[in-house]
Amino acid sequence: MGQIVKTTAAIAALLLSAPAFAGWEPSKPVEIVVAAGAGGASDQMARMMQAAIQKNNLMKQPMVVSLKGGASGAEALMYMKSSEGDPNKVLIAYSLIYMLPLSAKIPFNWRDLTPVSVIALDQFVLWDNVSGPKTVKEFIDAAKAASAPFKMGGTGSKREDHVLTAFMEQRTGAKLSYLPYKSGGEAATQLVGGHTESNVNNPSENLEVWRAGQVRALCVFDKERISYKTKVTDTQSWNDIPTCKEEGLDVQYLMLRAMFLPGKVTQEQQAFYVDLFQKVTQTPEYKEYMEKQALKPIFLTGKDMVEFLEDDDKQNASLMNAAGFVAK
Amino acid sequence: MSNTELEIVVDDPTAPEENSPAVVSTGVVDVVVSLLLLALALVLGWDNWRTGASWDSTGPQPGYFPFYLSVILGAASLYGLGTAFVSRREAAETFVTRAQFRRVMAVFVPTFLFCLATQYLGLYVASFLLIAGFMRLVGKIALWKSLLTAFIFTAAMFVTFDIAFDVIMPKGPLEAAFGY
Amino acid sequence: MEAFGLLLHGFAVLLTWKTLLLMMVGLVLGIFVGVLPGLGGPNGVAILLPLTFTMDPTSAIVMLSCIYWGALFGGAITSILFNIPGEAWSVATTFDGYPMAQQGRAAEALTAAFTSSFIGSLVAVLLITFLAPMISSFALKFGPPEFFAVYLLTFCSFVGLGREAKHKTVISMSLGLLLAGVGMDTVSGQLRMTFGSAELLRGINFLVAVIGLFGISEILLTMEERLALRGHAAGISLRVVLSVWKDLPKYWVTLLRSSVIGCWLGITPGGAIAASFMGYNLAKRFSKDQESFGKGRIEGVFAPETAAHASGTSALLPMLALGIPGSGTAAILLGGLMVWGLNPGPLLFVEHKDFVWGLIASMYLGNVVGLVLVLTTVPIFASILRVPFAAVAPMIVVSCAIGAYAIQNAMFDIWLMLGFGVVGYVFKKIAIPLAPFTLALVLGSRAEDAFRLSMIGSGGDMKVFWSNGLVGTITTLAIVLLFWPVIDRAFAGVARLLRPASA
Repeated sequence: MGQIVKTTAAIAALLLSAPAFAGWEPSKPVEIVVAAGAGGASDQMARMMQAAIQKNNLMKQPMVVSLKGGASGAEALMYMKSSEGDPNKVLIAYSLIYMLPLSAKIPFNWRDLTPVSVIALDQFVLWDNVSGPKTVKEFIDAAKAASAPFKMGGTGSKREDHVLTAFMEQRTGAKLSYLPYKSGGEAATQLVGGHTESNVNNPSENLEVWRAGQVRALCVFDKERISYKTKVTDTQSWNDIPTCKEEGLDVQYLMLRAMFLPGKVTQEQQAFYVDLFQKVTQTPEYKEYMEKQALKPIFLTGKDMVEFLEDDDKQNASLMNAAGFVAK
Repeated sequence: MSNTELEIVVDDPTAPEENSPAVVSTGVVDVVVSLLLLALALVLGWDNWRTGASWDSTGPQPGYFPFYLSVILGAASLYGLGTAFVSRREAAETFVTRAQFRRVMAVFVPTFLFCLATQYLGLYVASFLLIAGFMRLVGKIALWKSLLTAFIFTAAMFVTFDIAFDVIMPKGPLEAAFGY
Repeated sequence: MEAFGLLLHGFAVLLTWKTLLLMMVGLVLGIFVGVLPGLGGPNGVAILLPLTFTMDPTSAIVMLSCIYWGALFGGAITSILFNIPGEAWSVATTFDGYPMAQQGRAAEALTAAFTSSFIGSLVAVLLITFLAPMISSFALKFGPPEFFAVYLLTFCSFVGLGREAKHKTVISMSLGLLLAGVGMDTVSGQLRMTFGSAELLRGINFLVAVIGLFGISEILLTMEERLALRGHAAGISLRVVLSVWKDLPKYWVTLLRSSVIGCWLGITPGGAIAASFMGYNLAKRFSKDQESFGKGRIEGVFAPETAAHASGTSALLPMLALGIPGSGTAAILLGGLMVWGLNPGPLLFVEHKDFVWGLIASMYLGNVVGLVLVLTTVPIFASILRVPFAAVAPMIVVSCAIGAYAIQNAMFDIWLMLGFGVVGYVFKKIAIPLAPFTLALVLGSRAEDAFRLSMIGSGGDMKVFWSNGLVGTITTLAIVLLFWPVIDRAFAGVARLLRPASA
């Protein structure tokens, strides 16, 4: 309770100080553009932010979630590109901003948009069915020994899950067959039904089936363990999942979640949104959401953000190239 | 029972005449549609061939199914073309009479103009113009009734979609002047 | 008894003022849409779909399914009072319903129609209630090969059983499948058939196509005909209702027969149209007094209405459980599910219990509320027909445009809708069936993905479609259905050869 009071006070303080530096304010409802279908991680995040902004009165105009998941999210990117100079649209972006232009030859470059802030990083976890191998080592051995294709499920083709699977293939030398499903939820249930051997879903995508004791979390693809220590299943918390490096599989991969404005907006407009999302990250709604979805908190803007994006872009591009996913 | 009966009679003064001459016969339309489908099949087939329509190690390539579907579509329209020439009986049937065609155009042309107006003036202005114009010019309904109905309907749509349900419709200069 | 507990839970989900209000709104809108010329169940649901985009899925489906029930009831009103079937499946209702109205027994006919619709739906809902839990228990057995086999079964049954010229069914279906492939291919992540256009990138939305094919084209077709009408409207008194209900038990055989036919045809993709005619014809054939049919016999209203509603309702079961729509309206509800982020299929029963049981409970409640509502408001709705078509037509056009735009917020979709309107008009006039087209458009890419995922999983081996009992049975059944006309003829030939021998 005390925590909430404290954050509310902090928000109130921020609100009071706001007019001092925010010269511009949106005069129309702000569209928050989601590059994925309804119910996916981006959509949920957009709705969380919508609720957080509304409940804490962070903005006068309402926020409308606009789903543009067509063509695996390319629709949203083209939409942002064509909205140059319109400060009433914010994109909630993820790694697709680097990958789609490479894999599908879409004429889009994230540098054409105006970066606002990086608001979170999403983890990837190696999962298998509870009846499958119990450790990463057994898992790799099983994959190497398999005579029929060893099936890995995931969302979409030539995207994060697929790239990560290819990355694992390179590191372990095992042959993995990747099955692209339409959503993480589908990949999760197909794993439970035993139609795939494993998947590399984000924590939130496999949360329900993990709690139901139908899948096992083998390792997390990050340098350090997930920080949340509250028990999620009967016996485990997110923090109990070892990192893949601990288990002898040296693969790290994180996915960014960042906000962008269309290109050619003014600095004042950019500043308004930087401030807005900074406030969002301090709301109880945001904090609760981060823990529930096991997201890694981070907040970067300005030069830090651009540097981060350039690095991340380079890593993804080299992985895509190595996997042969870049369209000629 | 009869005391609760009420007769409802609606007449249609602009009904198409029964003996209006035919504009085009079903047979001709059949042939034209078959030809258009054939052309579509060729274009799509070519595009999918370019994408890759063979079978590689992981099953069919992206263009495989659409390519063979184009082939099937092309074959079926060729067959349709053949039957259209063979069956004389169907060919003589009237597709649409002149009077009917005039009435269909009386809806189609305004609908087309409405779409065009939506693109430039926004949906609500276009909708007002369509309803008022159609009622007045096609339905010969009194001007004040037409304008009032159009205004009430358009306003109701605006309140329902843009305000109550947050479903944002395309807007034009008029809405912009009011700050939407 | 698991079903009973889940159903109670479903009712608990529903019984809030907000949901009940949505239900009433949905029913009124539905009856409205069912009565208006140029609209009808599927169009109405498609146009009103955007209203539900910002709701949570359970409220959304409750409202939509109530629009659907309302449209079913509304169709009966115009059939009986004006001899205008609002829907193809109401055609059989006019055979005896309109003569009854002419004889001054309109109230009786309407009561019979509404009551039998209610009974038909109720039987179908009971069936769904008790089959649904069984579905969730084998839900997890469905992997890509199983899904593909089920889609194949649906497509094959359309080609094999359809009554239209075969090449026209093939044209319609292959065109639908092709258009379904436009945009990004999920399996390879490559773009197909977009010709470099940013508008085609997102693909051709199924709902936009439906609004054009059915909504816009229906207006064009309606305009072609004479719009004059003459009918008998009637208020329904409690006395008439009770006297019809008192006689109901006499017709139990007809009611039961029609319910069974309806449920069967609803679950297999035969549809409500076939069901209503079959119900009517069988009632006539088994009647002792066949001559009196078509002259205002109450059984002639009971039989088709019960069958049509049983089938319309049970069509929702394969839609929810397998992702296969048993009727046009079910196909649109399916499109809606996908917009709300729910994946129809066996897993829906596992992952979204609230939603499924809320829907099933709303079927019970919606029908009861609908029955009461429709019995009390017939005269009001009948008088809607007095509104001149010149006022109704542009409003329908505007509603269609709003519906088409709202799905993806794209102006291009309004043009696409107009294009599909013309295509629908021409196709209807040269007898190219639209049902296979819409089915292909909604299932096409799912079927293709399932096939290609099966191939990746099996390493390119076709034997995967016969790899276990479940998938093998479905695949074989699909192939039998595809060649059914040939098999049927072969059987008939053998029978003809045998007959002289036995005689």
